[in-house]
Amino acid sequence: MSDNFEHKKVKQAHAEAPGPAANFLLMSAGSIFTSMLIAGFIVGYMLDQIFDTTPIFFLSCAVLGFIGGIQKVHTLSKRLNYLPSDEKKESKEGKETQDDQKS
Amino acid sequence: MAEKMGTVEYIQHHLTNNTIGEGFWTFNVDTIVVSALLGALIIFVAARLGKQLETGTPGGFQNFVESILDFVATNVRDAFPGHNPLIAPLALTIFIWVWLMNFMDLIPVDLLPLLFQMVTGDSHAYLKVVPTTDLNTTLAMSVTVFALILFYNIKIKGVWGFTKMFLFHPFGKFFIPVNIVMTFIEEISKPLSLALRLFGNMFAGELVFLLIALIGGTLAVGAAALFWAPLQVLLDLGWLIFHLLVITLQAFIFMVLTIVYLGMAHDEGH
Repeated sequence: MSDNFEHKKVKQAHAEAPGPAANFLLMSAGSIFTSMLIAGFIVGYMLDQIFDTTPIFFLSCAVLGFIGGIQKVHTLSKRLNYLPSDEKKESKEGKETQDDQKS
Repeated sequence: MAEKMGTVEYIQHHLTNNTIGEGFWTFNVDTIVVSALLGALIIFVAARLGKQLETGTPGGFQNFVESILDFVATNVRDAFPGHNPLIAPLALTIFIWVWLMNFMDLIPVDLLPLLFQMVTGDSHAYLKVVPTTDLNTTLAMSVTVFALILFYNIKIKGVWGFTKMFLFHPFGKFFIPVNIVMTFIEEISKPLSLALRLFGNMFAGELVFLLIALIGGTLAVGAAALFWAPLQVLLDLGWLIFHLLVITLQAFIFMVLTIVYLGMAHDEGH
């Protein structure tokens, strides 16, 4: 049961971003957060220019960018909880051999 | 030079580009020339090496280049699902080009501007030799990568798949207008974070080099030079060694994130 759950979690982590190299996204979590906020301001500014509604979109998109930034950092930092599937397999095998020796 | 100028002018002078034109059509000539020259250097060295390839026991330089190729290929294999012949050459180009442009930071800050001023005869000629301390360079590269991301998103997922990502992505089907704006923000933040990270790190590094150079320029007058000049050498050496790591890391991160973002664009399930 718990194994299934673990497996699901690992699979889900891989679905979010491919490969272990995606862990490098963690290194840039800070700048992703900042740039989400800036991108929010930019999109809001453009929408305001189009609809002539300064500063409604400017501010609301900034808030959206802030929310999105936190959400992104949260999703990224969740990757810290997942074991890469190879490592997990190895540690499981190690555990099994230990159990065998005990019995 | 620093004695004549004062500290603020000295720093501002070093951080101003040599430009042609004005307004929107301002061209930073030094950035364009230096980055083009470095690109040409890569092409020249690669072409020369390509002619003298040895199949048996490769020489020192070939060995070195092969180890870089291996390193990039391993990273692409780790981070990129599926197969696309464009990705590895793109990653290699980005890594080497960005590294070389960053490396211009390690050349003594006054050397090239001084030579340039001697050649042109204008003692106030501007020259900023590190292309990556110019936001235009980093944004140009990240926008190019962004264009590739959009292209592969549409190519792999199809127009409807891509539109679906915009319509239903973060908050589900009941918040379609919010989803569209949110996905826009998310997509724009990708090239922004790539560009700003590289620019910020390089700009700050250059600024620290300038500040260290100012120790010799402003404080080392007369007997005080005996104390300040060795300190400047020590600090410069320390920051140089540390910065060598930073420029490699920044080039590496730019490369890996390009691969990861393009990998996400190729991922149909996402």
